[in-house]
Amino acid sequence: MSMTATRMLARDWRGGELGVLVAALVLAVAVVSGISAFTTRLQTALAQESHRFLAADRVVRSGREAPADWLQEASRRGLGTAQVLTFPSMVYAGDEGMVLASVKAVSDAYPLRGALRYSEQPFGDLITGGRGPEPGTVWLDSRLFPLLDVAIGDTVAVGEAAFRVVAAARTEPDQGGSFLGLGPRVLMHYADIAATAVVQPGSRVEYRQLYAGEPAAVESFERWLQAQLGEGQRLLDVNEGQPGLGEALQRAESFLLLAGSLGVVLAGVAIALAARRFSERHNDYVAIMKSLGATSGSITRLYGRSLFLLGLLATLLGCSLGWALQSAFFNLFGDQLPVAPGPAGIRPYGIGAATALVCLLCFAWPPLRRLSQASPLRVLRRDMPQEQRRTLTDYAVGLAAVSGLMWWYSGDWKITLAVLSGLAATVFLGLGLALTLLRGGRLVGMSAGSIWRLALAGLQRRGTANALQVVIFAMAIMLLLVLLLVRTSLIDAWQTQLPENTPNHFALNIAPEDVQGVEQLLRSGDIPGAPLYPMIRGRILSVNGVALPQTDDPEEGRRQREANFTWADTLPGDNRLLEGRWWAPRSDAAEVSLEVEFAERFGVGLGDRIGFQVGSEPFEATVTSIRELDWQSFNPNFWLVFPPRLLAPYPATFMTSFYLQPAQKPFLNGFIRQFPTVTVVEMDVVVAQVRGIVSQVSSAVELVLAVIMAAGALVLVAGVQASVDARMHESSILRALGARRRLVLGGLWIEFAALGVFAGVLATVGAELSVYILQAQVMGMAYAPSPWVWPVGIGGGALLIAGLGVFSCRKVVSSPPLAVLREL
Amino acid sequence: MIKAENLQKRVPMAGSELEILKGITLEIKSGESVAIIGASGSGKSTLLGLLAGLDEASAGRVVIDGTDISALDEDERALFRGQHVGFVFQSFQLLPALTALENVMLPLELQGQGKALTLAQTFLERVGLGERIQHYPRQMSGGEQQRVAIARAFANTPSILFADEPTGNLDTATGSHIIDLLFELNREQNTTLVLVTHDLSLAERCQHRFRLEAGALIDGD
Repeated sequence: MSMTATRMLARDWRGGELGVLVAALVLAVAVVSGISAFTTRLQTALAQESHRFLAADRVVRSGREAPADWLQEASRRGLGTAQVLTFPSMVYAGDEGMVLASVKAVSDAYPLRGALRYSEQPFGDLITGGRGPEPGTVWLDSRLFPLLDVAIGDTVAVGEAAFRVVAAARTEPDQGGSFLGLGPRVLMHYADIAATAVVQPGSRVEYRQLYAGEPAAVESFERWLQAQLGEGQRLLDVNEGQPGLGEALQRAESFLLLAGSLGVVLAGVAIALAARRFSERHNDYVAIMKSLGATSGSITRLYGRSLFLLGLLATLLGCSLGWALQSAFFNLFGDQLPVAPGPAGIRPYGIGAATALVCLLCFAWPPLRRLSQASPLRVLRRDMPQEQRRTLTDYAVGLAAVSGLMWWYSGDWKITLAVLSGLAATVFLGLGLALTLLRGGRLVGMSAGSIWRLALAGLQRRGTANALQVVIFAMAIMLLLVLLLVRTSLIDAWQTQLPENTPNHFALNIAPEDVQGVEQLLRSGDIPGAPLYPMIRGRILSVNGVALPQTDDPEEGRRQREANFTWADTLPGDNRLLEGRWWAPRSDAAEVSLEVEFAERFGVGLGDRIGFQVGSEPFEATVTSIRELDWQSFNPNFWLVFPPRLLAPYPATFMTSFYLQPAQKPFLNGFIRQFPTVTVVEMDVVVAQVRGIVSQVSSAVELVLAVIMAAGALVLVAGVQASVDARMHESSILRALGARRRLVLGGLWIEFAALGVFAGVLATVGAELSVYILQAQVMGMAYAPSPWVWPVGIGGGALLIAGLGVFSCRKVVSSPPLAVLREL
Repeated sequence: MIKAENLQKRVPMAGSELEILKGITLEIKSGESVAIIGASGSGKSTLLGLLAGLDEASAGRVVIDGTDISALDEDERALFRGQHVGFVFQSFQLLPALTALENVMLPLELQGQGKALTLAQTFLERVGLGERIQHYPRQMSGGEQQRVAIARAFANTPSILFADEPTGNLDTATGSHIIDLLFELNREQNTTLVLVTHDLSLAERCQHRFRLEAGALIDGD
């Protein structure tokens, strides 16, 4: 046959037959490639941002200096490198000044990620960027200036070397929550370490090698490095650098992938709907062509070629649109994201093209392929039933395609499974419920007024088609609700994780005689704080009478076995008891409560006896409970808690955390002067950084939600469109018979609203199921039912679908009935 | 020549079978014009569908110019229709997405006819629509649409033309113009014309008439 596919497409396009299908395909490709590019760029950006917390992409931490070869190897691979050494040391000034400080020596390139902040005067205006101190100079923590009674330009001594004070050190990107860096900061140059003669073998120091560069180079270097690591050397990446942040990012990533997966499903549904409508409309054409001599083979080829061309066109258009979409996002909301977006690469567009291919083959092709079986007899008998019944195979193919795409796209079978479970519940419940209710409606409807009779008759006449439509609406609404629910709980979780007055300062080493004074000072300053917890430094010696094995590396051994003990009569506020029981108040028993990960690390459980040592005195206690802590709460947390009486004989210091507003910062000066032995750790910068990232991720989540909402709305439109012809036909006959505008529109309103209500109910059930699985299994969050989703799902469904339906059919009351009938 | 031998058509309906055609035997010679008449539901259109090879009989056979089309499968029948048969329908059956010209070109293109464009133009001029070849069906009146359908039917010079109530959707004056055109072209091209109608005056213009009643042939002259 000589009629080419291009010509048929061109003709169909002019005739307006292709609009819906092309739009659905383009939308599918655009949504998938756009979101994919968007999330990729955002992920790259956020990863960059979070690397600031390491001041690098990867870090090796060790108690002894790591081989210099590693730095050379990293440079050879094109990576940037830097070195950091942190150690506690006394800092002296003049005859009197003497404070225990946390000294950090950094090489020239430090920091590789993020920026140093300093000021020219203590507590002065922040200056961001640049390198650390030059050799021979130091930057001092603002608080050190009054403690040491020095000013900019004065000299201080660290060990045997003297340094000129040139700036006030404010924050470093990787100061993090590490308690090793207790005490106020002194920043010096790495080359000056030897001159101080403070660092000797066995000193309590922490070496870090920092590496950063292109992700691929970093990853290949990481693989090489893994093989080199010896005992006491640990490789850190973002997640370890900042555990709280890692989790937040992981959840955000899960959400974005989930959103993309839902986009894929929605697109698939839209294409299936559009292809179905397209093939229904083409049924008559095929009959005419067949009556004029076209064979089924030639028709299959014709539509096959058309579909291929459509796919090509849609991929091109969709990818361009997807690209435009994501760059529009970054242009529009770039201000909200202080991080520059990374590159997206071509993978998103590959995903877009693959999506188009799979969607066409699995959703669009089955109904079009069957077109060739249309009977030519339709030219004589237009009322012949269309042979367009979807077979079980069609559904199976569609399901497999959706699952495959989702899995490929999210790379997470748990996400896939959670969404599929919700969809399955919606579909099965939906078909059953819709068929039953739509049949049951007949009894009620017959005695109702004429608008209602009309509407219910309309619903029942197309019982199966309506049930299918309800299911499609329900699926779209369900996916949108899932996204809405997950997003809401995600953002809630982040906000509760870091509520407004999250403690942002820790005070440690509070002597027992100072406890009252500290409490009083905090109260008089009206500063909200946690209770004061006793803290005892101790060691773990044995488990069930067996001494812990020796390790070669004293530093590593200390790290493993030294811990802070505390005592309490009641379970601390944000702790959760996992196993066992809490002791009775005033217990005399030798009991201990362990944090769950700590217990796992030592391989101990309830009933095990652990030998401890505080100072020089050993004692034993039995594990009677296992607790879970919220390490992200910025409250004092302890691995080991004992009954008060057990620890009473040992010397303790106390610690607390409190919240200072930026304006209250000068409070610290008075505090330090009054309690010079107390160590204050300023966490406010870290808290602000975490909060900044959380708010960026939140706005990303909101943006993606908006895109998917648009995709969902288009599926709803496609779904409504599918039944518009039949409804328009009937309505225009009613109009021809003299039915008033009110009656026709009213009937349509009721009909579509009823479908919307059914769909809303199903969608809500499916959404709750999906969200339950998603939160419990994928996001690692506690599931809480959301009562508000019911009115939103059902009411929203009814309004949306009635509105769209009546809008699509509005022509029926505004044009003459004959004109409408002729166009159908 | 068209020969129908004991043609039967039964369709299953609610547990039993509905007999639409009860063994029709007839013969139509080449170049003849015949009318199949009868009341609504008498089986006229079903008979036309079987004679034209649009449908399969439950029993009996149809032989056209020596080819037993009952023995062909659907694809072979399609090729046969394309080469030997033209149609004019009550509801015109134009493709709404195609212009008048493209509608007429369609069967020619399906046959791989190289001069589809010129032939289609010629036939549209012949039916008096030379000025409207780029118009879409919705921009035309019923009579004009039927003229496009006639141009399409004759464009690939079929040996047999089947017309199903060709004036059914048209007013009397337009209808009679259409019929004049149909008979004119029929004569020019020496086509066999098989026409289904319930309009007796139209039937009178044909050389022979077959009358159907409840699926049986009761009269033929």
